[in-house]
Amino acid sequence: MFRRASALPYALFALTLAVHSAAAEDRKPDGRAMTRRIDEAIDARLQSESVTASPRCDDAEFLRRVYLDLIGHIPTADKTVAFLDSREPNKRAKLIDELLASTDFGKHQADIWQSLLLPRTTDNRFVPFAKMTTWLETRFNENVPWDRMVREILTAEGEIDKNGAVIYYLANAAPDKLTDNATRMFLGVQLQCAQCHNHPFTDWKQDAYWGMAAFFTKVSIQGNPRQAILNNKAGKVAIGENGKGRPLRLPLSAKRVPPKFLQGDSPKIADGSAARPALAEWMTSPKNPYFSRAMVNRLWAQLFGRGIVNPIDDMHDGNKPSHPQLLSDLSAQFVADGFDVKNLFRSICNSATYQRTSKPLAENKEAGPEMYSRMAIKVLTPEQLFDSLVQVVGAPNPDRLQRRAANAVQAAVLRNLTPRTLFVAFFKGDDNADPTEYQLGIPQVLRMMNAPMLNNAAALTPILQSGGTAEQIVDRLYLTVLSRRPTGHERDRCLALVRKHDDEPRQAYGDILWVLLNSSEFTMNH
Amino acid sequence: MTFLNLSRRDWMKMSAAGVSAVSLSGWFKVLASRAAAVPSKHKSCILLWMDGGPSHKDTFDLKPGTKDGGDFKPIATSVPGIQIGEHFPKFAKLMHHAALLRGMSTSEGAHGRAKYYLHTGYKEGQGGLTYPSLGSLVSAEIGRSDSPMPNYVSIGRSFGAGFLGAKHAPLIVNDPARGVENLKPMTTGSHFDDRLSLLQEMESAFYREYKADAGADHKTTYQRAVTLMQSKEAKAFDLTQEPASARAAYGSSRFGDGCLLARRLIESGVSFVEVTLPQWDTHQNNFDRVKSLSQQCDPAMAALVRDLKQRGLLDSTLIVWMGEFGRTPRINQRGAKPGRDHYPRAWSSLMIGGGIKGGQVVGKTDKEGATVVERPISALDFLATVCEVLGINWKKQNNTSIGRPIRIVDKGANVLKEIVS
Repeated sequence: MFRRASALPYALFALTLAVHSAAAEDRKPDGRAMTRRIDEAIDARLQSESVTASPRCDDAEFLRRVYLDLIGHIPTADKTVAFLDSREPNKRAKLIDELLASTDFGKHQADIWQSLLLPRTTDNRFVPFAKMTTWLETRFNENVPWDRMVREILTAEGEIDKNGAVIYYLANAAPDKLTDNATRMFLGVQLQCAQCHNHPFTDWKQDAYWGMAAFFTKVSIQGNPRQAILNNKAGKVAIGENGKGRPLRLPLSAKRVPPKFLQGDSPKIADGSAARPALAEWMTSPKNPYFSRAMVNRLWAQLFGRGIVNPIDDMHDGNKPSHPQLLSDLSAQFVADGFDVKNLFRSICNSATYQRTSKPLAENKEAGPEMYSRMAIKVLTPEQLFDSLVQVVGAPNPDRLQRRAANAVQAAVLRNLTPRTLFVAFFKGDDNADPTEYQLGIPQVLRMMNAPMLNNAAALTPILQSGGTAEQIVDRLYLTVLSRRPTGHERDRCLALVRKHDDEPRQAYGDILWVLLNSSEFTMNH
Repeated sequence: MTFLNLSRRDWMKMSAAGVSAVSLSGWFKVLASRAAAVPSKHKSCILLWMDGGPSHKDTFDLKPGTKDGGDFKPIATSVPGIQIGEHFPKFAKLMHHAALLRGMSTSEGAHGRAKYYLHTGYKEGQGGLTYPSLGSLVSAEIGRSDSPMPNYVSIGRSFGAGFLGAKHAPLIVNDPARGVENLKPMTTGSHFDDRLSLLQEMESAFYREYKADAGADHKTTYQRAVTLMQSKEAKAFDLTQEPASARAAYGSSRFGDGCLLARRLIESGVSFVEVTLPQWDTHQNNFDRVKSLSQQCDPAMAALVRDLKQRGLLDSTLIVWMGEFGRTPRINQRGAKPGRDHYPRAWSSLMIGGGIKGGQVVGKTDKEGATVVERPISALDFLATVCEVLGINWKKQNNTSIGRPIRIVDKGANVLKEIVS
């Protein structure tokens, strides 16, 4: 694979199992050079194609965007007021640092990564996902370098209770599934096509696929997961690569070939030794250009709604980056900075490119999204929508869920369900959907309009109790739901409604709350 | 993600444009008025899903007098020479409308994977994609874009739209007696209308300033949902509109209510309705349970066929009866009341109406119902035939969001030509 990546400064990826230098972890990288590099590269293309960039977004737009992007929910009304009224010159940079330090940062990344790493298939309905979600959350919050985190996943062993990362092997419980997922998520390539036929866009052959899958064939499951999960003792199930337990099953169609890196060498692995460490070293090596590119591209896409290579996990020669040099530079810098994830987010969020308004100008409304002349408008993910709704209208009561388990199987499934996971399952679109595309259908919209959770009268109480004039209450509603103050016109319209219902103003406020929650502005990250 | 060769977004834009062109009459009246021009040749499908895997030897492929042939007797049907199980007496009289497929032979023997495979035609997890279920495919291919009703309704849980997107996801009805969740506003009707017009007014600035495609899609989806809430067709979800005698004819069971609701939905223009009858996983106490389940199924299925026929809708409505697999020819030795276990190698399904050539059996099993000896029918053959009957080009490729072309039915399917007229 790396031979084909001829545009890269790394022409050949020779297998050298050099231990990645720990020096990078000792110093705090300075993201400002990366921020400058982003703006230079984006502006250069805008200039060369004579496209005008939209101006810098206002504080309210920035606040809501960076909250949703970095910690997965909208800000509170109090936070919004404080930020909007602050006169600190570098308040945006400070807010970015503050959010990266929040524990909700890890929670948000864990939401994103657990859905990428742990497929929600029927085979997996008993798998205790939460253990790995917690593992991911902690790792992201501790800012564990990305290469180390991936090595920990790729070589994970031991009991679930002691190492949540082993869940990866229960949720992808076959060498071919592991191969598909690991190459797609960590290298950004769609190798799975080559499972059944030679890849249509690349020269990857079926043998290359099974050569990679061969690294996972010594992995075994110790204990009976199904039984343990039903007995609520899943924590004792273990993953190992030491000859004990039941090996993961290869499908009947598997080709039996020795372990071989994708278009690389066949490492010598003794019969009694584990194969995964060699794979983990190869995959996460600083010399593996795909590894850093895949992560840079993925995090870029989280923020901009599309990758520099897009679709993000389909990197091959036919799928050209919009800004090739920028992707190479960011990837090289990501390696040089010791795979520092928070630093990468910080560098991008501080850029002028990220801080543009999403409002198009007459001059750039026809420009394609790959120009980054204005910010993309993303639709809230189900997790972002739920967490933001809960902040406004309160959490639904989980009791209803707990009472229903009639037997051990149901109880095991129910342990994986919460009001949040049910909401997410109901609102979730296609796993690979374009984040700028609106995916909700009639059932979801009916719930937004008519479900008790969205019509919770109690949600108004704290807003009304904050007291003040009708004008202040209307402002508070806007600050709570849309993280901004109303425009003059909006305020007047709302006050007219309140006056019309002066016998029962609560009804007018309820109507305004309903309208704001059902507005496209609330549903979008703009 | 294509819809009549347009991308979903193109289609949404067209709808939105159509709406704004007549915006003086307001957001929410337009789609309802356009729905009047519904093509009359529209085909629909009702999938009666026998969840758990019904025992073929105790329902539609009896083997009397053989080892482990079971307790039940065969009975004659309206078609000379075709016999079925004794607990389907009402349906037996309608056999001339049906093709009985006794050659079903598939490869998945675990519930989850088998249900997925029979609903989508693809193995779960294959190629890292989530595949659309049959209902979503029907919605995308022949669903009515201008109808106030959703194109895919599932009474009970089913599989979703996968890479086709939420627009083709099923509208789930958990309890047919209660109808669609959240269909009614939590305020009075006029108060809800006030809220809607306020929403429309307050939204306009955001649309004007941000011009997001997603905003247009949001608007269109809200319009469709509100149109459904306010449409006369939505009454189709309300079973209290039926006389007590109708519910009784369908057997007054939850499944019977589901079939009655399915009929009402088909009449009002829904393209695909799935109704689930659970509990066919008869590892134990097989005969008592199959008898009881058959007695729930028989009146409902028979009333459904009769009602559709009477309304002139049977030729345009294909009814499919199936589960995820059959059950072992052998009776197991579990406990005092033994049962039969999972068996995908040989089993039976039914297609009824839809303009097929009825009154015939396709495929044949050996004397113990263990192996298909004539015309084995794969899941792909089966799904391609369903598509063919509904007028869907099953060789067509849909594009996933990363541009991978995926056929509606994968290569290797042979349509059952003998039943397609």
